[in-house]
Amino acid sequence: MTPNTEIETTRSALLAAHERFWGWEIPVYLFVGGLVAGLLLTASAVVLGLGKERVTRAMKIGLAASPVLLGLGMGTLFLDLTYKAHVLRFYGALRVSAPMSLGSWVLLLVFPLQVMLVLALPFEELAKILDRVPRLAVVRRFAEAQVKKLAWGGLGLGVALGIYTGVLLSTTVAHPLWSSGALGFLFLASGTSTGVAALMMGERDPAMARTLARADMALIGVELLVITMWLIGLLTQGAIYRQAAALVLSGPYAPAFLGFVVFGGLLLPLGLEGLALRGKALHSRAVPALVISGGLILRFVLVYAGQDVEFVTG
Amino acid sequence: MRRVMVIDAGRCVGCEACVIACKTENAVPEGEYRDWVVQETTGEMPSLELFIQSQRCNHCTDAPCVTNCPTGASHYRGDGTVQVDRDACTGCKACIASCPYDARFVHPEGFVDKCTLCVHRLDRGEDTACQTVCPTSAIEVGDLDDPTSAVSIQLRRAKVSVVSPEAGTHPNVFYLR
Repeated sequence: MTPNTEIETTRSALLAAHERFWGWEIPVYLFVGGLVAGLLLTASAVVLGLGKERVTRAMKIGLAASPVLLGLGMGTLFLDLTYKAHVLRFYGALRVSAPMSLGSWVLLLVFPLQVMLVLALPFEELAKILDRVPRLAVVRRFAEAQVKKLAWGGLGLGVALGIYTGVLLSTTVAHPLWSSGALGFLFLASGTSTGVAALMMGERDPAMARTLARADMALIGVELLVITMWLIGLLTQGAIYRQAAALVLSGPYAPAFLGFVVFGGLLLPLGLEGLALRGKALHSRAVPALVISGGLILRFVLVYAGQDVEFVTG
Repeated sequence: MRRVMVIDAGRCVGCEACVIACKTENAVPEGEYRDWVVQETTGEMPSLELFIQSQRCNHCTDAPCVTNCPTGASHYRGDGTVQVDRDACTGCKACIASCPYDARFVHPEGFVDKCTLCVHRLDRGEDTACQTVCPTSAIEVGDLDDPTSAVSIQLRRAKVSVVSPEAGTHPNVFYLR
């Protein structure tokens, strides 16, 4: 007969009553970070692959909006800190072993790179404003001359930003749902996909809209593959990992994960984009909107569900 | 020096004096605990076995809270204990997310707090608060690098366990069964 085990602790009732240590601020930040990484990666890839002339107005607007979005994302991170007066301590140390430290420095590098890329690209609306500041002309000329190097930097920092948002979770050993190296790649693919989807919503060039739709379909395919690998990894490990996986497959987070992330945010837009590319359906902004909302819900589900299962119950 | 704690679970009666002493000594805020008591009952009636553990931060040798701290606020002290530098802590909670033992909490003042192994008392040559009040002398703190210390002798002679060894953090709080 298998012996039963019953555990009592002096603090269980209090712990059960505790709120999650990471609330809405972290998933919102992870979403915005991924979105910005996607916008940066797409613009950089177009500069390097097709030339800076092919960077469309929607991409330039997306790139120009990126620093603002990233600032808002960092604002939610700031809201999450419980010792806000110490926020600058992040920049008093560079700790290679700590993803949050590396991420802080990546964020600091992404800002100037985004600004330089915006300056390097021909952008009529912005040029009218920038022309009023003659001193910026020197910076603009420098940026224009270095556009390819800046795009390579955009690729590198975009990948670092996208992956780091997932690695941040996966390096915490205390939570089995996050205990997977797949999360870095999942967040990179998902962030890039949401960035591409955001651009699809404003893209007026039909040829580029089709290119973006194809890219998004490929990224959705990668996401589905990585999600499958992540879940197989959890389900083939110990009982605590299966318990964690059950949260998103059959537990309280299953409707959001399977309904709004896997079906509504991945499979449905994949099918609709495929039909639109074959001319059997109209391109609609609803499709990229589904991808974007799926990306946001994915991060809420992962951050919240991950905190619900721990290795130690005492 | 490598400071460790050895708790004789056979002597522990689960009176929670260690919990009260810690809260008093360290002014632990209401609703939070730096140490706590876990009672594990195993078996089927009438063959039951009770294992009582006074738990706290395990001051791990491979502490993920230290690895993942972005500012270095969570760090190893020279004596091997894991400490939090309040002046460097941002309250990002990466350490709370990383601790497999759920040993940390956010202090109302904003920094993250946990058991310090009463190093302020040890440095004065005193025992830890929990050790001082334990009515059955179940708690022992000492230097594992000193082969003549009480903890070294206990760990050599008896069968010991740690909480969740599968976490791979190499805890420095040991339990004699």
